[in-house]
Amino acid sequence: MTTKNGSQQRLLILGAILVAVIAAFAGWSVMSKPAAQAQGAKRTKVVFWNEMTGPAQQQLNTFVKDFNQSQSKYEVVSEFEGNYNEAVQKIINTHGTDASPAVFQSMDISTSQIHHTGYTTPVQKFIDEDHYDVNQIAAGARAFYANKGTQLSMPFNTSQPVLYYNATLLKKYKITPPPVNPSYSDITRVATQLTDRSHKKVQGMTVEIYGWLFEQFMANAGVSLANQQDGHAGTPTAVNFTNAATVKTMKWIQDNLKKGDFVNYGAGANAQNNETASFLSGRLGMFMQSSASIGQLTTGNQDQLGITYYPHPDGQKSNGVAIGGASLWISNDKPSNVQRGAWEFIKYLMTAKSQAQWQVATGYLALNKDSQKEAVLQNLYKKLPATKVPGEQLRAATPNATNSGIFLQGLIQERNLTQTAMEQIYNGSDIQRSLATAQKSMNAYIQGNNRANGY
Amino acid sequence: MQQEITPASKPSLKPKTLNQANVKGFNLHVNDKWYALAFLGPSVLILGVFVFYPMLRTLYLSLFLTNNVGRPTVFIGLKNYVNLLTSSAYQASLQATAVYVIGVVAFTLILGLLLAQMAVRKLAGIQWFRTIFSATMGVSVSVAAIFWLFIFSPSIGLFDQIGTLLHLPLVQWLTTPGPAMIAVIISTVWMNLGFTFLILFGALQMVPQPLYEAAAIEGASPSYQFFHVTLPMISPTLFFTSTVTLIGAFKSFGLIDLMTAGGPNNATNLMVYQVYRDAFLNGNYGLASAESVILAVIIALFTLLQFKFLEKRVTY
Repeated sequence: MTTKNGSQQRLLILGAILVAVIAAFAGWSVMSKPAAQAQGAKRTKVVFWNEMTGPAQQQLNTFVKDFNQSQSKYEVVSEFEGNYNEAVQKIINTHGTDASPAVFQSMDISTSQIHHTGYTTPVQKFIDEDHYDVNQIAAGARAFYANKGTQLSMPFNTSQPVLYYNATLLKKYKITPPPVNPSYSDITRVATQLTDRSHKKVQGMTVEIYGWLFEQFMANAGVSLANQQDGHAGTPTAVNFTNAATVKTMKWIQDNLKKGDFVNYGAGANAQNNETASFLSGRLGMFMQSSASIGQLTTGNQDQLGITYYPHPDGQKSNGVAIGGASLWISNDKPSNVQRGAWEFIKYLMTAKSQAQWQVATGYLALNKDSQKEAVLQNLYKKLPATKVPGEQLRAATPNATNSGIFLQGLIQERNLTQTAMEQIYNGSDIQRSLATAQKSMNAYIQGNNRANGY
Repeated sequence: MQQEITPASKPSLKPKTLNQANVKGFNLHVNDKWYALAFLGPSVLILGVFVFYPMLRTLYLSLFLTNNVGRPTVFIGLKNYVNLLTSSAYQASLQATAVYVIGVVAFTLILGLLLAQMAVRKLAGIQWFRTIFSATMGVSVSVAAIFWLFIFSPSIGLFDQIGTLLHLPLVQWLTTPGPAMIAVIISTVWMNLGFTFLILFGALQMVPQPLYEAAAIEGASPSYQFFHVTLPMISPTLFFTSTVTLIGAFKSFGLIDLMTAGGPNNATNLMVYQVYRDAFLNGNYGLASAESVILAVIIALFTLLQFKFLEKRVTY
């Protein structure tokens, strides 16, 4: 009897604690609400979703703080949403609910998908309303996020694929560095000389198995990956991986891998980490990666860093490469004053001053043309002259249908398939056959997707 | 006294003891629907919302093409299944899953049994080994993945350093298809070993000692004792661990995602990973649903087969 009473008593106490905790939370939420509302009444809350990490996240938070202090109408609340892929799903799944953002950052290859959801207000609307001078923003970056003359979103964190080389190592082995806009054979020469003269102590070059690089080889050769001019003229119905330029590029890599002047680091984050580690320790002479890696490659690196444009096929001029990174979108499920606040925030991020700070802090390129005159950026160029190259590459190219990204849904799938083909080719498979297999799968995917969406 | 044994009084007694619950505050009959609902309701509700509805929804979605916001738009019947089963990429994924599952189950059981057999012996300091052998139970998947990534790393990896010392050719563990599969199997077996060891060790300790003594008197060799005394005695536990390991192997995701992400050349692109890719990267929910259904059917089938054939050899 006593034990039963004891356990009953204990249960009673437990229940009381539970009730107290619930009451405390309820009370807290009731009490804290008026305070938040009082603040909200004065300022319009603009929720901003982003996927930035590390130094970029710190700089972005600084921008948000500065913007909130610079005016009294809007309050931007920045929320980190994990990686790019996860964010796309979250954006789509929360649309129309209280949880959805007013302004969000979404990756380059999600552009067509996000646009086709119909969940966003094109920034063109605000550009027109404000007579905002878009010409101050780099044309190559703008073109990537525009469709048929309408600016869908604002380019933000923007990078260029470039070729990095270890200038100190080249000097040591008395090798003439590659020209600033190299052809495939320029790179082959440097790679061969590095491997030979170092007696294989230094690996010449690597091209990561990465769909982004695959796309850029095509862009730089001036070839469309998808029909309808890479989707800029209409909905693509098929892709073309088996064109002569791509076959030539893949053969260039395969031949050099066979000779041992190129090495294969594989695919994914592991490959990226391993090739960077090898490059920094002086065991790899050249590799290709996003310009956003500059920060990582200059801090603590004793050797001098060299940067060139993306290599182009022999016997033709480089067409220019597309940008990488992400852009800022405005959701259309929020009232007009919130959307206006989102636009004001975007404008703030795009000023010459903000953009210059952004490049210095992160390695992403300053997109405002006037940023080049800013003192912070001038100082960076003085300290590390090579950091000028990616921006020059961006400004050197004239945007056209083949170097302004691919306006196609399912680019994640496309990268997956082209990476599989690259893996097969690197391991010695027949180039034409590997590319044809990838092409067939992608075309089937596009057909299904177009049918599901009623295009 | 007499009343109690008369047949007429029996029915009146029975309900009170068997069909009626005498809970303080409640006085409900077993047949009472509300009584059943009160007890089953919460679990039915939770299972319904989180298990049965998603299952049916998956089945439904697998018959459709889904648009870019994930809604089913075009009914295509079994076309998702037909496309999958005839695609060479999916067949390769099935094959990779088969190799992986067989490798993981076989090595987990053999090594687990070996370790358990060793740990059963009463030796000095055996307690320490028993702890070490079961230690992987406490290691999370992400930690294990990082740990094995270091071991398999091409530049600083333990395996390649040993290989260099012995003048063996350098193996690019995670970037060549064959070795990558071996690498993920090794890592998964290592992860599973702690649990399997613990369960089998427990079973081995439960085998009655007199059986061995009797066998020894009969002059049975240690290996004969193992196959004819130990194995039959622990067969129920072996059956349990093999079933659990098999289902676990089919569902392996964390190690694959962190170590190879399905690569190289889709060599470790197991069925579960393909589901994840199609649903959460490609946004192709219809196809991913069809893949989930296929996976569920395969797991159910193997579990059923195991019960049908292995259970016959189990002596309880």
